[in-house]
Amino acid sequence: MDKTTKESGQAAQTVDSAGGKPHNPPISPDLEENITQIKARLGNSPDLIIRTYELINRTARVAAVYMIGITDREMVDHFISHVMSFESLNDDIRLAATTAEVYSYIKDNALSIGKEKLVQDINGLLEALLSGDTIILVDGLGEAVSGSTCGGEVRPVSEASTQVAIRGSKESFTETISTNIALVRKIIKNPDLWTETMKLGDVTHTDITIMYIHGIADEETIKVFKKKLQEIKVDSILESGYIEQIIEDNKYSPFPTLYNTERPDSVAGNLLDGRIAIFVDGTPFVLIAPTTFFMFFHTVEDYYQRYDISTLIRLLRFLCLLISLYGPAIFVAALNFHQEMIPTPLLINLASQREGVPFPAFVEAVMMEVTFEIIREAGVRMPSPIGQTVSIIGGLVLGTAAVQAGIVSPAMVIVVSLTGISSFATPAFNMALSIRMLRFIIMVIAAFMGLYGIAIFTIMLIAHMCSLRSLGVPYMSPLGPFVPENQKDTFLRSPLTFMKIRKRLLNKGNSSTAPGKKTAKRNSYEH
Amino acid sequence: MSIKGVMRLVSVGVIVLMLSGCWNSRELNDLAIVSGIGIDLVPETNEFKVTFQLVNPSSTATGFGASAGEPSIVIVSASDRTIFGALRQASKRATRQLFFAHTQLVVLGESLARSGINDVFDIFERSHELRLNSAVLVARNNDAASVLKILTAIESLPSLGLVKKTQNTSRVWGENRTIDVFDIINGITGEGDLTINGVSIQGNASEGMKKSNLEQTVSHAGTVMDGLGAFSEGKLIYWMKDSEARGTEWLLNRIEETIINIDSVDKKESIAVNIVYSRTKVKIDIQDGLPVFHVSISEEGIVNETDGFVDLSKREEIVKLEQELQEQTGKDVRQALQMAQQMESDIFNFGNELKRSDPQGWASLDKKWGHIFAQGKLDLHVEAYIRSTGMSLKPYHPAPE
Repeated sequence: MDKTTKESGQAAQTVDSAGGKPHNPPISPDLEENITQIKARLGNSPDLIIRTYELINRTARVAAVYMIGITDREMVDHFISHVMSFESLNDDIRLAATTAEVYSYIKDNALSIGKEKLVQDINGLLEALLSGDTIILVDGLGEAVSGSTCGGEVRPVSEASTQVAIRGSKESFTETISTNIALVRKIIKNPDLWTETMKLGDVTHTDITIMYIHGIADEETIKVFKKKLQEIKVDSILESGYIEQIIEDNKYSPFPTLYNTERPDSVAGNLLDGRIAIFVDGTPFVLIAPTTFFMFFHTVEDYYQRYDISTLIRLLRFLCLLISLYGPAIFVAALNFHQEMIPTPLLINLASQREGVPFPAFVEAVMMEVTFEIIREAGVRMPSPIGQTVSIIGGLVLGTAAVQAGIVSPAMVIVVSLTGISSFATPAFNMALSIRMLRFIIMVIAAFMGLYGIAIFTIMLIAHMCSLRSLGVPYMSPLGPFVPENQKDTFLRSPLTFMKIRKRLLNKGNSSTAPGKKTAKRNSYEH
Repeated sequence: MSIKGVMRLVSVGVIVLMLSGCWNSRELNDLAIVSGIGIDLVPETNEFKVTFQLVNPSSTATGFGASAGEPSIVIVSASDRTIFGALRQASKRATRQLFFAHTQLVVLGESLARSGINDVFDIFERSHELRLNSAVLVARNNDAASVLKILTAIESLPSLGLVKKTQNTSRVWGENRTIDVFDIINGITGEGDLTINGVSIQGNASEGMKKSNLEQTVSHAGTVMDGLGAFSEGKLIYWMKDSEARGTEWLLNRIEETIINIDSVDKKESIAVNIVYSRTKVKIDIQDGLPVFHVSISEEGIVNETDGFVDLSKREEIVKLEQELQEQTGKDVRQALQMAQQMESDIFNFGNELKRSDPQGWASLDKKWGHIFAQGKLDLHVEAYIRSTGMSLKPYHPAPE
């Protein structure tokens, strides 16, 4: 830990010297000097546009500065023309105006557009400029007006690609943070939906917004969480995954302790449960905290479909979890250690299949699993037309050819493909990855110690999962600790009318660094 | 946790994995699955000759590259003073380690059964390799090895086929019941005696071993369930057949279904009644130092065939049928009991029942239960009920003139 902090500290220092932020001079009254300064600081970037004007009988020299690409061209033009229009003034005043008066007119005009601010120093100016603002500099004054004109090319709101729902909103988040926040606001139209913004990343200055419902989310948790975010010292935040990995309580756990989603309705639902959402500019994936294990097996659609269907589908998902975790392991264990467990006709069937297979069952299983993983990994990154080819070839290799060549037994193909398909049934991709990884570990243990090993490992795994916490909330809640009222919405999905009490998040506000205080108070939404 | 700590933990884990060293791990293709065990006595040397029916995986079932030429089983025999010795001696002849957990069947040769089986089954109870729920048969007029050698049509594993035969006939015919090793050990340790299903070879036994035997519609040889062997003090003394065997099952409350043929006005044994439900309750008490067996049987049947004429639309006829049924059942039961009493062999579990319900009375009798049993009296009540006459009432052929 110490090491990493030191490293990031060093990195920050190098940035300081290289990026040229040694001092922060105030804006000089000399327009030319300011322009030179800005150009120098941005390294004469060609996307920096500086337009100079001489206003009102050339008494006032004004410059408009903006970056092309991250600004909306129309908005820039509109802003500039609006700010510099003096038609409302009569000629006498206009002609007699001093620089200071011109500036105050400009300021007033900018104000009437809104979202404008004043900057006094070069660093503030640059920051505004790089956020897409247009800066108006007036010769002779050590101050500048900046107006928000940010825009540029954005991806439109499209259908969710990683968390598809048959029924429910088709909207998903985009890379623009303001759009993302708006998408949630459109769902929860309530003044208590609060957001707080900060910039993280010494180099990237990425916008981060945390969102929660005041009165439902626990104050302590929010405070702890904000503190954690503020303590982050890194150069860059390129995706919400950076934040996830930095603020995780337990870095050595195979399980993800933060949930991410690209669905606004999922975020809204979790906010209503008292959780906090973290939006990161530049990614459609929004983090949700605190996270429990069972969240990864729930989808928003569970609540849109009728309760009976949803309950059965949830149970099916947990069955798939067991299959994808234990499938090949139990098969290998039964084949190598517990032949007496298999019904006689099945055993003879399996024996006849394995007759002529030159490898031990474990090697066979690992071979098939690895082949499967290779095909999967290759398929993910392929352009979709080629991706299909990969899966067809892979299917042939995995299935028919390997069996006919006598390299693997048909039963093993069934087990491996069932396992593979089961792992796709986990709604959360990051949880599916963890299970994939654990599957190999369990397989190795099963090959060495049989069901005994599987049992021991399972006990260890459950103990580990019970020890995990996400922002102070036990990972396995509501099973460990057992919360009876939350059982309505864990393995089952009770009818909506039964779920009148808001779900309880245990140990709110207790981070893992300050355990002991167990406040299990019921959440109620009060005005 | 530091990186060092993690590394330490991982290395400890790896070492632990290695320590276990795949204990007891056996690949499926290194095992010879034993589907049946036959035990015979070699009188000259007083050794057990143990015969193993091994599954030949490459020619059973569906696997790819199955060689169709070989038979589905392989027979291996070994002799030793102990059964376990023979089990291990078989390694001289088998290419793979014998695997007994799926033993379906244990066949005892008749000569072994006649000379006593009480000491045979200890290994089944003691050794973890063998299991207690294998079915047991006695090879009637034959040795166990021959029975295991006969191939069965339809079933790829003859042992499994024999077990299925036992189950099948027990369910619909009612002269046998499935008896496994555990039942036998219970019978030996309890107060009574035991019965074991018999199986005999019909036809040319040496032809039955060949695969060509299965390549025709009528087999040259086959195994047939044949009677119920009654044991007295661990020795086979009598083969019960037909109604005696069925009476035994009736007294043991093990009838699931059976057929009783009843006379009609014009033909003997021409009305077939399928007994579909039967319950037997046994109560034993002691009167004047001798046991009285109160047996009450209630049974229900369906008329499935009337070759002779009977007007089943009349209630009186049905009542008559029910009375006939009672008589027939009573006859079976009496025959079975009479036979058992002649042998002084309590194969009906009466001794255990009496000991359980009246321990003091039992203590006063105790000595030589077989002898006392033979003098016991039967108090039989049969209640028969015709549930249905099938899908018609009167037969389509006319009443005799």
